[in-house]
Amino acid sequence: MSAALETPGAAPSAAQPRGVAPPLLSRSWPVFGHLQELRRRPIELFWRVRNECGEIGELNFAGNRVVLLTGSEAQEAFFRGSDEQLDQAAAYPFMTPVFGRGVVFDATPEQRKQGLRNQSLRDSFMRGHAEVIARETERMMAPLGDAGELDLLDFFSELTMYTSSACLIGKQFREELTSEWFRVFYELEKGTDALAYVNPYLPLPVFRQRDRARRRMVELLTEVFARRAASGAAAGEKRELFDVLLSIRNPDGTPRFPIDQITGMFISMMFAGHHTTSGTAAWTLIELLRNPGFGARVGGELDALYSDGREVSHQALREIPELENAIKETLRLHPPLILLMRRVEFDFHYKGWTVPAGKLVGVSPALSNRMPECFPDPDRYDPDRYAEGREEDAQLFAWIPFGAGRHRCVGAAFAMMQLKAIFSTLLQRYAFELAQQPESYRNDHSRMVVQLAKPCRVRYRRR
Amino acid sequence: MKIHVDMDLCQGHGACVAEAPSVFALDRDGRLVVLNESPDEPLRDAVKAAVKYCPTRALRLEPN
Repeated sequence: MSAALETPGAAPSAAQPRGVAPPLLSRSWPVFGHLQELRRRPIELFWRVRNECGEIGELNFAGNRVVLLTGSEAQEAFFRGSDEQLDQAAAYPFMTPVFGRGVVFDATPEQRKQGLRNQSLRDSFMRGHAEVIARETERMMAPLGDAGELDLLDFFSELTMYTSSACLIGKQFREELTSEWFRVFYELEKGTDALAYVNPYLPLPVFRQRDRARRRMVELLTEVFARRAASGAAAGEKRELFDVLLSIRNPDGTPRFPIDQITGMFISMMFAGHHTTSGTAAWTLIELLRNPGFGARVGGELDALYSDGREVSHQALREIPELENAIKETLRLHPPLILLMRRVEFDFHYKGWTVPAGKLVGVSPALSNRMPECFPDPDRYDPDRYAEGREEDAQLFAWIPFGAGRHRCVGAAFAMMQLKAIFSTLLQRYAFELAQQPESYRNDHSRMVVQLAKPCRVRYRRR
Repeated sequence: MKIHVDMDLCQGHGACVAEAPSVFALDRDGRLVVLNESPDEPLRDAVKAAVKYCPTRALRLEPN
């Protein structure tokens, strides 16, 4: 869960008379408030706000006051809020020790107003990315053999580590990565315990593991750069972004960007697209296996599309309606981020309520995506919701797996293309079946970065 | 037809530029520029594709 997942922009609004304070949700314990409930049953906690308080209610995370806005109308007010009024940067304290200080939010408001800062997400780059993703999926399948069992979290975490690094950082750089990288990265992601709202540096095992993982990542990157410098790759034609960053010197000859800071940049570039895409890929496969009728429709669609031998990289940029709808429905039911937040910089007014500066405001995609007034029979997996005529995802401020407004996930189009390329490649080669009870697959919500809980195994055999 | 852009939603992905390069462009800072707000009938299909493939659904087409 990071602000790196959403994009910056904005404009302030006029002064308004002060309204009433939103009600505090019941069962706020001394000191911790609702923090323990957040760590154990976050989605139930958000529903308690909507059911008990209505469209606006206050939560207490160890003294951090978060006003949750629910319903299309209140959520639109949140998503249309200006950067000057609603600041993303300060809202995610559990991310600071992961990225390191001064890495992600060092852009000026003026820079933030500019378009896509990460040019590699521009539309014109997508064709090349699609080729890379199809190739990486082939490489992950190579050691699988004819049949066996695999762990969805491990498989897709490793795959998306390779695809993200190859597309967003560099193809040479990706060749330096080994499976240790994704294990270390996973430790970092697990270090996002909501106890960070008390203090992100508490002497707890989960935070010590996080900090150890980050130190190991610095070591691994240092080794990569040493290797590349020794082989001459860092200076020649194969030079990439990180080689350039490392070679920049201050006037006194010292490196402009210390390795720790470059590690932070690497982590922040990888973070937004990693656990999110990995989790969505795993859940898409689980849902297609749990709902075999839709699984067969997607399988038939892919077989028909690729029967003429066309390239995945070509088709992944075009329409694959059954698969796209299956992915959208997976994202609705299992959004990778369950709580989006901003810090209020000056009083935020909504209807007769006022949230004063200093508090946080939040919106929950996990709640919003299952509001029955927007999504009939909300718990049912039904990709036909997105068919022509229904188009339930056209509710821009209710269907919000990627957020909404100017901070909407900039990687959304890249993620959809990536998932289409992965499944086009994977499902042509292998057939899958569940290796556990259908209802046993679940998310681990104990960390702010949601991950699939283990065990999460499936069986496969070559088609 | 007239093109309406919700600048609260546009992020400068450039999908519209790929679909209808004579109608849309990105400036040096990556911001969207509409070159022709009321394109002629022959451009209708390209502009409709731009509206459809906008990743943030920031574009709307209105009748004149």
